[in-house]
Amino acid sequence: MNENKLQAVSSLLDQQQVDEDLLKQVIDDEKLNESWSRYHLIGDIMRGETADFIDTELSQNIASAIAAEPTLLAPKAKQSVSQKVKAKVVQLGKPLGQFAIAASAAGLMILGVQQANNPDDMTAVPAQVWQPLPMGGVADPVSYNYSRQDTALPSQQKRAQIERQQKLQAILADHQMQTKLNSKATVTDDSEQVELIDAQQPNQN
Amino acid sequence: MKSKTLSILLAFTAMPVLSQQNVEPNSSPELSSEKVIIENSIDEKTTAQQAVTDEKIAKVPTALQWMQRLSYSIRNLNFDSSFVVVKNNRAEPYRWLHGIDEGNDLELMTLLNGPRKESVRVNDNVSYFNSNLHPYTVKADAISGPIPVAFSGDIEKLQQSYDFVSVGKSRILGRPAQLIRLESRDKQRFGYWLWLDVQSGLLLKAALIDRNGDLLEQIQFTHLTITEKSSETLNQLLVAELPSTLIVSQQVPELHWQVSWLPSGFELVNTKRNRLAGINQQVESLMFNDGLVDISVYVSQTSEANRPMTVNQAGATVLLSQLRDGYEINVVGQIPADTAKAIADSVSFN
Repeated sequence: MNENKLQAVSSLLDQQQVDEDLLKQVIDDEKLNESWSRYHLIGDIMRGETADFIDTELSQNIASAIAAEPTLLAPKAKQSVSQKVKAKVVQLGKPLGQFAIAASAAGLMILGVQQANNPDDMTAVPAQVWQPLPMGGVADPVSYNYSRQDTALPSQQKRAQIERQQKLQAILADHQMQTKLNSKATVTDDSEQVELIDAQQPNQN
Repeated sequence: MKSKTLSILLAFTAMPVLSQQNVEPNSSPELSSEKVIIENSIDEKTTAQQAVTDEKIAKVPTALQWMQRLSYSIRNLNFDSSFVVVKNNRAEPYRWLHGIDEGNDLELMTLLNGPRKESVRVNDNVSYFNSNLHPYTVKADAISGPIPVAFSGDIEKLQQSYDFVSVGKSRILGRPAQLIRLESRDKQRFGYWLWLDVQSGLLLKAALIDRNGDLLEQIQFTHLTITEKSSETLNQLLVAELPSTLIVSQQVPELHWQVSWLPSGFELVNTKRNRLAGINQQVESLMFNDGLVDISVYVSQTSEANRPMTVNQAGATVLLSQLRDGYEINVVGQIPADTAKAIADSVSFN
């Protein structure tokens, strides 16, 4: 029987007439399917029509791989160098973003911090090359420092860091306040105007 | 008062020139929009006179004229706008209204997301409402917010430190826009790119660019309506009760330190000794302004052991901290970190 079917495969390959029942059996039988593709492969090789690399299991592999894969709605883009850099920024930026909510509640700005590793290095580096980079962690609010850096830093150092951070935030807030107090668009004629408005002042308040 | 009326006159004369250019774009082929015109401090009066006498000759407005028109439009048009400030991977939406009702100059700027942050101006009284602070009023003729006060102020002053460059036209917010670049003359500060509405002269987009051409901060308008009359929202400000005016001490404390170097064009605007809110630490500070950018230098005593210099940056704002001889020196402002470092290094003690 098996011989018969193989014969049928062979006949099909040679484009000979095969009866329909036999054809169905060939299609349904996995082993005969394999034979069918193997015969084709042999023919291809003999005619020199194959690609450099042949994987007879290819279709099988693809089919099982597809079956095993979760449904992907969008293809994953290949990461270029610039994307890698970007991804890094996002990672660092994310915690900042989250805590920026807490910071903006306090009316302050969240900052990225770069700390020079070596104070001596600072003078050696030419000014043009020297650039600050935003970094996570140091600029975070107090609560965040506690939860995350509890084990990483001795408490004294940690407190000093928090204090320093608070001072920077306070300075920034003070600067912004001063900017508001000193914002004068038309510097040249403002003394006249202020006097003018002073006279009208009671009506507005 | 004199310079104000003069710039108004200028803006008026600049406008017919603009409309002429739109009607007859082919009349002066050598002045195509792509052509870069570098504006060198032209005397204001001669420019104004020229604009009047040469009215019949179609002429492309200079970058200076564009900037003066911007300043005039912000101060004189009735508009209702929305914009988004993009920096540090964050976007902050604002609404900005301006109007003149029966001779009263009214302005409102409000942050639309998160805790309440609102600024209101009635003539020369600016009131700030912050969710975490007591509201207060200061004497100022512009709201200090994401839009630099200088854009509605004395444009001439900006020319000391910036070159105005008229670049090409493009489409912003669905409108034709003219790109004007403010280039730092000495490379010690950031550059501004401004896209101005051809029709009204108002700002449609602004970008802060560093020396490498990288974008630091961006303001993009998302809505702009110009009306003939001031909006009802603004007119209500006239009857609203505003918080009391903050009394700023006029006393100038004597400091035992000074800043020996600043980029040219920066002038001292404030000297102060105060305690920092929140941490109650005494600091002394000097504030400088170049017409567009504010820089503050803070000096305070510290018991901190020597540590490396730190630089914080949020968008274009840099905060540098340096320890020296038992003092902490902090430099804050929208300036490159190199400039901040040079300023901090130049602080000397008596």
